[in-house]
Amino acid sequence: MLLEVKNLDAGYGFLHILRNVSLSVEKGEYVCLVGPNGAGKSTTLKTIAGLISPIGGEVCFDGETISGLAGYKVARRGIAYISEEMNLFSNMTVHENLLMGAYTVRDKQLEKNRLAFVYALFPQLEGRKNQLAGTMSGGERKMLGIGRALMCNPKMLLVDEPSFGLAPLLTEDVFDSLDTLIKEGGTILVVEQNVTKTLDVTDRGYVLEHGRIELEGPSAELARDPHVRKAFLGV
Amino acid sequence: MITEYLKKLYETIRSVAGITVVLAIVVAILSSIFRGPYIIVNTVVTGGMLALMSIGLALVFGVMNVAQFAHGEYFMIGSLTAYYTFIPIERYLGANPNAALSFLAPLVSILAAFCMGALMGVLSEKLIFYNLRKRSRTNWVMNSFLLTVGISVLLVNGHQLIFGTELKGIVRYWTGRPFCIMDVFVSRDRCYAFILSVLVIGLFWLFMKATRTGRAIRAVSQDETGAQMVGIDLSGIQVLTMALSCGLAGIAGASLLFMFPSYPSVGLDPLYMSWFVIILAGMGNVLGAVVGAFMVALLKVLTMEYIGSGWDFVVPTALIMLILIFKPNGIFGSDVRGVLEQ
Ligand SMILES: Nc1ncnc2c1ncn2[C@@H]1O[C@H](COP(=O)(O)OP(=O)(O)OP(=O)(O)O)[C@@H](O)[C@H]1O
Ligand SMILES: [Mg+2]
Repeated sequence: MLLEVKNLDAGYGFLHILRNVSLSVEKGEYVCLVGPNGAGKSTTLKTIAGLISPIGGEVCFDGETISGLAGYKVARRGIAYISEEMNLFSNMTVHENLLMGAYTVRDKQLEKNRLAFVYALFPQLEGRKNQLAGTMSGGERKMLGIGRALMCNPKMLLVDEPSFGLAPLLTEDVFDSLDTLIKEGGTILVVEQNVTKTLDVTDRGYVLEHGRIELEGPSAELARDPHVRKAFLGV
Repeated sequence: MITEYLKKLYETIRSVAGITVVLAIVVAILSSIFRGPYIIVNTVVTGGMLALMSIGLALVFGVMNVAQFAHGEYFMIGSLTAYYTFIPIERYLGANPNAALSFLAPLVSILAAFCMGALMGVLSEKLIFYNLRKRSRTNWVMNSFLLTVGISVLLVNGHQLIFGTELKGIVRYWTGRPFCIMDVFVSRDRCYAFILSVLVIGLFWLFMKATRTGRAIRAVSQDETGAQMVGIDLSGIQVLTMALSCGLAGIAGASLLFMFPSYPSVGLDPLYMSWFVIILAGMGNVLGAVVGAFMVALLKVLTMEYIGSGWDFVVPTALIMLILIFKPNGIFGSDVRGVLEQ
């Protein structure tokens, strides 16, 4: 297992949100975490990324325990987290944002290769190289967020709501780029509102409700599950 | 191409910031013509050192969200360190004259002041702000502000207890005849102080723009979470920011030792002045702080020249109050935060 979350408990201050969450992601797998608003999906990703320290349980990555490590140390281990709000550096240009993504990359040649890779994946970004990130549209910001995360050549991506606030056509674009990454051997754990689409493209999925994992299994099976169909697909 | 640049220039000049800067330059030139060029000389020398103070203040505000009211005390520590470094060297030189050493002695003292300031900055961050941050981040701006006031009281009284209240000053750093610029005699100390401030500002600018660490500091000031996400060690950057900021204040204190002898509350005047500057320029805006420093310096010099020396605090204060009422973001203020952007 590349990522293994065991019996994770987490929350904010006295607010206990996640209870006994366990999930795992194999290398090369495309896994999704779905659930209603406020279920704790974002909290799960933040805890894995080290931005929140867990109350209990353990997160292992690549065979080592990473729970309790500071966020920047988790990032240096090779987990790239893309938050819902992107957390771009709004007063830096697109290009500078991408270079910041390669902050931990000391090898200039590797940095160049990554830059070429990101610009090839999102040609729109190259055209807007010198634009300030703060002045970009929602879709462009999303691409920049993913691009910046890819700059450090991560072993795994944690993506929070890639389709949030995007028009259907742009959503397709973003999902296509994630698909490309998977085809090239990447590993992704994605959180999504758009359950139909997500279960359609991913390999496996977990359903999180009220901070607990209620269901898990291959995405195709989840899509057929009566509970999932009733709760998320409206049938 | 050229017309495009002119157009851009025109747009910049028409903004509030542009109008103010142009106005300041015009006033400086006019008053220098009517009253004498020493006005510009004084403005530029005071402005350079004020810029060093203000950059530090803006940096700490932009990166750490701390409203630093102990900044003057790092100025005081700088002047104290320079005094105790320079006096022994000077005494040694009195016995064994040495031209090269007497040129270098002031620089060594200023360097020592930078190191001491930076060290005190690191200590303040590690002992105080770090611990507050770990305990709670609620009400951060207010709590950290109160802590800086505490640090200030501690350092002022510490100085008084250990070194006493007498003035610890020097007559001059560099011996030799004053330079003659535009028919005004400018003492070597003033001249070198200005050159030093320009050099330091330039180096600081390069550091922030062109180095990996400088970029990381800017990144933290724009988005702390984003910075962590790309692998930047926040606490390292916070220590470095405090060190830089306090080190710059130390340089300012040391370079102006010939004007402001060291005593416990010597930092008060530079503290107020640099706060004026960053309110004028917009909090957390480093580039604006440099320009603003020269404008506040000019305002101070002009007030002393035309109204009288008792008024040099009254006029800037009145202006600051007006700015806070009508343009609370400062004249270079922008909605987006960041330490090196306008
Ligand atoms: N910073 C915070 N402080 C306190 N409570 C928070 C914080 N962030 C989230 N919460 C609470 O934690 C719970 C889970 O939030 P989370 O963001 O993980 O939900 P989510 O599953 O991502 O929902 P959505 O689909 O709306 O994004 C919510 O009840 C929310 O109010
Ligand atoms: Mg969420």
